[in-house]
Amino acid sequence: MRGGGRLSLFAFALLAGGQSARAGDIALGEYLSSACVTCHQKSGQVTGGVPAIVGWPADQFVAVMNSYKNRERDNEVMRTQAASLSADDIAALAAYFGSLKPAK
Amino acid sequence: MIVSRRSLLRSGSAAAGVFALGAPAILGQAKQRVVVIGGGPGGATAARYLAKDSEGKLDVVLVEPKKQFTTCFHSNLYVGDFKKFEEITHGYEKIAAQGVRMNHQMANSIDRDKKEVVLADGSRLSYDRLVVSPGIDLKYDSVPGWGREHEETMPHAWQAGDQTKLLKAKLDAVPDGGVIVMIAPPNPYRCPPGPYERVSMMAHVLKAKGRKNAKIVVIDPKEAFSKQGVFQEGWEKHYPGMIEWMGPKTHDGLKSVDPKTNTVETGFETYKNAALVNVIPAQMAGKIARDAQLVNQSGFCPILPESMKSALDPNIYVLGDACIAGDMPKSGFSANSQAKVAAMMIRGELLGARTFPARYTNTCWSLIETDDVIKVGGAYEAKDGAIKASSTFVSQAKESAELRKQNTQENIGWYAGIVADMFG
Repeated sequence: MRGGGRLSLFAFALLAGGQSARAGDIALGEYLSSACVTCHQKSGQVTGGVPAIVGWPADQFVAVMNSYKNRERDNEVMRTQAASLSADDIAALAAYFGSLKPAK
Repeated sequence: MIVSRRSLLRSGSAAAGVFALGAPAILGQAKQRVVVIGGGPGGATAARYLAKDSEGKLDVVLVEPKKQFTTCFHSNLYVGDFKKFEEITHGYEKIAAQGVRMNHQMANSIDRDKKEVVLADGSRLSYDRLVVSPGIDLKYDSVPGWGREHEETMPHAWQAGDQTKLLKAKLDAVPDGGVIVMIAPPNPYRCPPGPYERVSMMAHVLKAKGRKNAKIVVIDPKEAFSKQGVFQEGWEKHYPGMIEWMGPKTHDGLKSVDPKTNTVETGFETYKNAALVNVIPAQMAGKIARDAQLVNQSGFCPILPESMKSALDPNIYVLGDACIAGDMPKSGFSANSQAKVAAMMIRGELLGARTFPARYTNTCWSLIETDDVIKVGGAYEAKDGAIKASSTFVSQAKESAELRKQNTQENIGWYAGIVADMFG
């Protein structure tokens, strides 16, 4: 998935109402997020090849994580992380990161 | 008497202070204290998360003698001219601003019975919970002929700082035709792919300087090493004929080194007057952990995998390179991951905060040559009394240049991320 595709998917998810996904446990999400923020900065700042993951619609966050879990999207780090996450874990992460504001 | 607005405010706050002191409910609720020993990836992360997530309800003290911390991770990139020294060196100002009390001195010992840490100035810091994250000490008696008094002549550069600069200066001075000998460490040691990334960076510098006839010999006590296949593939691709790696069967054992003549002798060969000898010795948990008898016969600290708590003291947690973390390698990433589990469990114990089953993660990226980065990693959990990998991956041979370039960008992004996560 390239930048343009991601943006249009992002816009679609916004229009469709990102909050329609099953609400995740935000406290669990905050704990699980500690594994993510070693690379993905919580501030939403982007350095090098690690994208910002804050402020996404929950639907899109879940879709992307499932795509790694199903070994569709490439990236062995993400596939390995996603493999260890349950559907509830992913929903929790989506809820937590979705609650954070992206960097200006 | 003219009462200024300022003095009124002052007297007002003094009155409030008296009131507070007189209030038994508040007196009886002195903040519980967590002392963290060591300001590296484990300790800095633990202190920051404890302060941040307890929202001021815990007194968090980070004991670390250094004012500036140079990360071991990416120090090879400094050796290879990919980073400046300042780029791998960080201060504690932001951590302090986020509520961690910095105490810049050495922690000399731990009084486990009294639950106190004895500091270099003789003062004592009491703790409700203690986090021990001292990193490794080198076994100076593990390489025949070499000791602490020779680390200037034959640097280890396995604890980042002046040693890293010394190794870099010696590397830059290697003449064309010169021989570098690396004595690689036995397991377990800090940063399993580190020696081999370093070899790659040495070769990169020699190649870039046009010293095509220089050679790097690796005398390894192990029969195999981390990411070996992809490292060796990369060496053949980028530095053909420059790097000779030998395991114990092929060098017949390291007999001795002689720092006076920069000589390395193995069962089969003698390398005389080497241009640079990099001795990376065997390792053990930092002294304070050993002195406090937090180690077992292995020289490292057993922990409970579901919490990172010491298996030998219920008030102490041990993080990072000093602990026995099962399938997790000794890496900055691992220490950072373990710290977040420990911080959560400590908040659970002291504040009744909600806790979740421990999850751990690690990835190690290694730079072989410009835009050619390989990686290894995993996700881990507590299982059958140890930290066990639940899923893992490692870079494969014959991967595309595009993928390796993506890894390079990931490596850059990860560094910025972990430093922000550790130091704020």
